[in-house]
Amino acid sequence: MWLQFKRTFKSAVNNVKHNIWLALSVTSVIAIALFIINIQLANIVANDLLLADLENRVNVSVYFKEDVSKDKVQEAEKVIKEFPEVERVTLISREETLEKFNKTHSKNKTLQEVVDVLGENPFGDILNIKAHNTDDYAKITEKIKSANFNNSIDNVNYEEHQDVIQGLGREIKNSQKFTIVLGIILSGIAILVTFNTITITIYTYRRAIEIMKLVGASNLYVTMPFVWEGFLYGSIGAIIAIITSYFYLHFLANGGSSDTLLFLSSSKFIQQFLGEYFTKHLFLAIGFQLLLGTFLGVLSSLIAIRRYLKK
Amino acid sequence: MIIYNKVSKIYKNDTKPVLQNVNLEIKEGEFVTFVGYSGAGKSTLLKMIYAEEMPTSGEVYFHKKKINDLKKRYLPKHRQQIGTVFQDYKLLTQKNVWQNVAFAMEVAGKTQAEIEEDVPQIIDIVGLKSKIDKYPEELSGGEQQRVALARALVNRPKVLVADEPTGNLDPISTWEIMQLLLKINEFGTTIMLATHDKGVVDRISKRVISMDKGKVIRDDLKGKYCI
Repeated sequence: MWLQFKRTFKSAVNNVKHNIWLALSVTSVIAIALFIINIQLANIVANDLLLADLENRVNVSVYFKEDVSKDKVQEAEKVIKEFPEVERVTLISREETLEKFNKTHSKNKTLQEVVDVLGENPFGDILNIKAHNTDDYAKITEKIKSANFNNSIDNVNYEEHQDVIQGLGREIKNSQKFTIVLGIILSGIAILVTFNTITITIYTYRRAIEIMKLVGASNLYVTMPFVWEGFLYGSIGAIIAIITSYFYLHFLANGGSSDTLLFLSSSKFIQQFLGEYFTKHLFLAIGFQLLLGTFLGVLSSLIAIRRYLKK
Repeated sequence: MIIYNKVSKIYKNDTKPVLQNVNLEIKEGEFVTFVGYSGAGKSTLLKMIYAEEMPTSGEVYFHKKKINDLKKRYLPKHRQQIGTVFQDYKLLTQKNVWQNVAFAMEVAGKTQAEIEEDVPQIIDIVGLKSKIDKYPEELSGGEQQRVALARALVNRPKVLVADEPTGNLDPISTWEIMQLLLKINEFGTTIMLATHDKGVVDRISKRVISMDKGKVIRDDLKGKYCI
């Protein structure tokens, strides 16, 4: 068995050397196929990161009237914290708000004068609420409005942002669906092209296959060199694909044009993808790539050779 | 050694039989020549020995083993016992002379040491020692046929089936190949040769089986080309 492995591998290397241009074209096709799959996968992950980021930015702010006492605000904070939908509540005191306001508008004399004329802190305390799930904000707002501390509240600002946030979320989710469909279609085309290229390659060997069988070679012996060839094309293609994908993503992450068909997500999230996923799981990425490449090469070879083995 | 018993063959999508009730026995060590017009059924008869074609009815035996019943997984082993030579040489174009001959031994599972011992010997016998590294496209027709012959013989087959081996060759190369076949036969290998070449058949004066329209019409032990 080991002898067969060795001999068929040698035979495959010999075939590759003898048909170097054919070998190069099959390897490039596999590399391009994997590259397309990589970019689509990266895009899907980057879009997910974008969604997560957006969701993280959403919150509800409850503005209390300026004459409400600290105790009442803290009581309200306790009640809100008990809501199952709430992840965390942050209290921003009216003093902090004033300080922040003064800092932000230190150069705006008119605004400073208005505050001075008022003679007292015009702001109330604020509770910033973060939900577990973006969809829960409406529910939380409802609960706050029906709570017993409702008359201490000046304003709940979620309604103002609601449309923008939900609209943006919808947009991204739609774009994500489009990306996945596009990814599947492009990957499908890439796989078909690879399969076809290998089928054509094996077609050029059909006479050799017939001769091998006449000389007394078993089906396994005839098949093995093609499986090895598929393995070689697939693994070399995979290495090329992972290097080119990395550099392409790196280029996009550093502000290269992100409006290409292959990449819809913004450079910030590609950067995040490269940093958090790609680099951290480099061996996994390479392993996945090699597995996919050799699977593509070997399976295509096996399917393509079947029809010539029937005799 | 080889027995054809009431063998008939009709190809798929064909109504006319290529072989009709053929009965033949070929003994070990014989040199048998099959002659006849194109389509007489010579090639089909030979193909049944190495199981590339199966009879529609009747039986073919090789060493008492019925080839009709041969399971697919035993086919490679069976073919390794039979040397085959064809008009179009059927060499592997990706492999050089040495590799083409060695391939037959590799598929038979021979060790590297055996290959390195036998391949140069057989290449020497067919007179191609100086062309051992050449690829088929760099060789003349006669030389390519000699490579095919070396490949057919390297596993020391019991029978050599040669289907029009000199069909594409000039008279000198033809005679060189015939000399080799006679020599191989002298060493005990059974030869089954299908040919159109009257000169060859007449000169070697061996058993001649004449075929026409799928039937054996003559069988002479020391025959001449006659159809």
